[in-house]
Amino acid sequence: MKALLPPRPRRIAVAFGLPAALIAGWWITSADSQSFYFPPLQTILHTFGKLWFSSKALPNIVPSLWRFSVGYLAAAFLGIAIGVPVGASRNLRNVLEPVLEFLRAIPPPVLVPVLILFTGIGNEMKALVIVFGCIWPVLLNTVAGVRSLDEVLAETVRSYRIGRLSRLQHFVLPGASPQIFTGLRQALPIGIILMVVSEMFAASDGIGFSLVQYQRTFAIPEMWSGIILLGIIGIVLSLIFRAIEARLLGWYHGLRQSQRAG
Amino acid sequence: MPAATAKVRAKTSARTIVWLQGLAGLAGFAALLEVVPRSGLISPLYLPPFSTIMAALFKETTTAEFWTALSDTLEAWALGLAISVVAGVVIGIGIGSSHVLRALTHSTIEFLRPIPSVALIPLAVLLFGSQIQSTLVLVVYASFWQVLIQVLYGVQDVDPVARETARSYGLGAWAQIRYVTWPTTLPYLMTGIRLAAAVALILAITSEVAIDTQGLGKEISDTESGGAVPIMYAYVIVAGIIGVIVNVGARALERRVLAWHPSVRLDTAETGA
Amino acid sequence: MLEVKSLRKVYEDTSRTVEAIRDVSFSVGQGQLVCIVGPSGAGKTTLLKCIAGLLAPSSGDIILEGQRVVEPPPAMAVVFQEYGRSLFPWMSVHDNVALPLKHKKIDTARREALVRNALSAVDLKGVEAAYPWQLSGGMQQRVAIARAVAYEPHVLLMDEPFAAVDAQTRADLEDLIRVLWHRLRVTVLFVTHDIDESVYLGQRVLVMSHAPTVIMEDVEIDLPDERTQLETRSMNRFGELRKHIYSKIQLAKQGWRPPSE
Repeated sequence: MKALLPPRPRRIAVAFGLPAALIAGWWITSADSQSFYFPPLQTILHTFGKLWFSSKALPNIVPSLWRFSVGYLAAAFLGIAIGVPVGASRNLRNVLEPVLEFLRAIPPPVLVPVLILFTGIGNEMKALVIVFGCIWPVLLNTVAGVRSLDEVLAETVRSYRIGRLSRLQHFVLPGASPQIFTGLRQALPIGIILMVVSEMFAASDGIGFSLVQYQRTFAIPEMWSGIILLGIIGIVLSLIFRAIEARLLGWYHGLRQSQRAG
Repeated sequence: MPAATAKVRAKTSARTIVWLQGLAGLAGFAALLEVVPRSGLISPLYLPPFSTIMAALFKETTTAEFWTALSDTLEAWALGLAISVVAGVVIGIGIGSSHVLRALTHSTIEFLRPIPSVALIPLAVLLFGSQIQSTLVLVVYASFWQVLIQVLYGVQDVDPVARETARSYGLGAWAQIRYVTWPTTLPYLMTGIRLAAAVALILAITSEVAIDTQGLGKEISDTESGGAVPIMYAYVIVAGIIGVIVNVGARALERRVLAWHPSVRLDTAETGA
Repeated sequence: MLEVKSLRKVYEDTSRTVEAIRDVSFSVGQGQLVCIVGPSGAGKTTLLKCIAGLLAPSSGDIILEGQRVVEPPPAMAVVFQEYGRSLFPWMSVHDNVALPLKHKKIDTARREALVRNALSAVDLKGVEAAYPWQLSGGMQQRVAIARAVAYEPHVLLMDEPFAAVDAQTRADLEDLIRVLWHRLRVTVLFVTHDIDESVYLGQRVLVMSHAPTVIMEDVEIDLPDERTQLETRSMNRFGELRKHIYSKIQLAKQGWRPPSE
């Protein structure tokens, strides 16, 4: 089969082959479905267009994405800000490690009820839940990144008397950035999950809220379309992330390639 | 032998210091939790002092309800994890052993992976209500990917020379898997199990909070709406402790297995979410 | 210019104590090129790091231009052996060379001039925008040297800088060092395990013993100041000096040490 097609079309065929087949399969097997819970794919897609591309959609999508962004970015900032000093100091690490190990083991959705106590069911609660969930991969990976900074480079920095702030800007952060990005990447799906869960639990708008509404009112095609929407959001966010990472870590990919070749 | 005992003493004292530092951190955290509510900085209605929470915790452990909830959560976790691991290994080795399959499924896997498992909550609720099957849907969906991805890495890492050698000795597909693929994949699988175990626990408790299936999560949301705040925190702490045990246990298991396979990279060992 | 007085360095670990350097004393005059040679495990790198202010000695002093060295002094620059790891992979060659200068409080125009001159001094043209990992090993080490040169140090410390490059590149780099040394009139302390290199480069060669290290001998290299790879290395005097140092090192390996004062 490989010899049949030239490389570019072949790659596209391989990439879209199975998904296309699966979607086609789904369409066909559900076409005349009488099942209440599994309506025809055609109906779902139709509802999808009607629902999420209308003006009604924005009041639901925008708040969700807003909460996610605020929570995720706050978690990223805090995770890095705490992770750098902890990574740099062995004593600090030894003291904090059991506490952090415990805190990170608490499933973040568990905090939804807890935070409702403090901040009610508003946006703060959701943003805080997202922060609490997303901060751990960022923090732990930042610590690992700072710990694994090259010793020779560290000595070079010292020998040229490069100052604290400059060291942070030109050595610590760029040096740890590949690992930090791993943490940020791991935090992405966590943030999406928490955004949805916190909205399912207690909200008056948002994608998670809509999903629960559809489920409660047995609006099945709408519910399915919501699920698909979440999937698409997940994919889009991870593509955006990958684009940003490719930009900022271009030097790293080049370095690894040259190491592998040499 | 004075030199040897000095050596041993020096090593143990370094270890002890680390332990003491960690203990100090925990003690400091508990102290903070005790002082802040009592001082009124945060109202003790929202955050009871540490001692109050501990008292509630000890009292809970004497009730049957506590142990039922705990075993419900652990049951869903273990079952979901087992299913994910088996499915992940079978499908992973199956896909991974064939170039064609791997290429064909790559885009599908990359498409499905980022879909948050909680998106399936409404569907699960419709199909299974608040029974354990709902939880299992979420747990399996999320944990399966962790195992699958790692198994795929492992199969990819198999030394082509070893595989050629096996084939030239006339070993059939099953024997090849047993003697070549499996040993290489095992360490990766351990990493996958570690990641999946953590994710499985989180999703089990999440579904209990969101769907109200029996378990620790349900206790937490019930006590919150019932206003039994110290008990709620007690359950939160229990959830954390279980999580720590699972994480630490999985890491120890992984390290044990990795110790027999020195050639495998250890860089994922530290930082799995 | 540089004085090392009774330097002693002891490493204390949780499991053992290692006396790396027992007693090293020597002085280097302004503008000299001194090589330090010794068997592996002779604490040469430890010695260099102490001189550079990167490592605190257990006892003894390092005096640079009349001042005690307690931390890396601004008048010193170090070139490490692992050039690949001492250059910032996320910065271009130009930025790598310019970074240490950003803290020397000189204006941009002068900094740019220093960078440009340093890169041309080490014979690197047109690589300013490239990344270090895009260059060959020899070129990377030249960038590291350029960075040290641009820093305008009074003393240049080099820790086995050419150990990890191939022989041909090493020969070129050795000549480069002598050219730079002549042009910039900088004091150079050059650590190496290669005896030939130490004789070819140095005006003096300090031969180190095994750990716990002391100086076995301070050999004066009375070769002409103009040296070329081909001619100098085939001179008789070169062979004699080389043999002399080699035999001293063999003694060092057998554990022989000079009678203590």
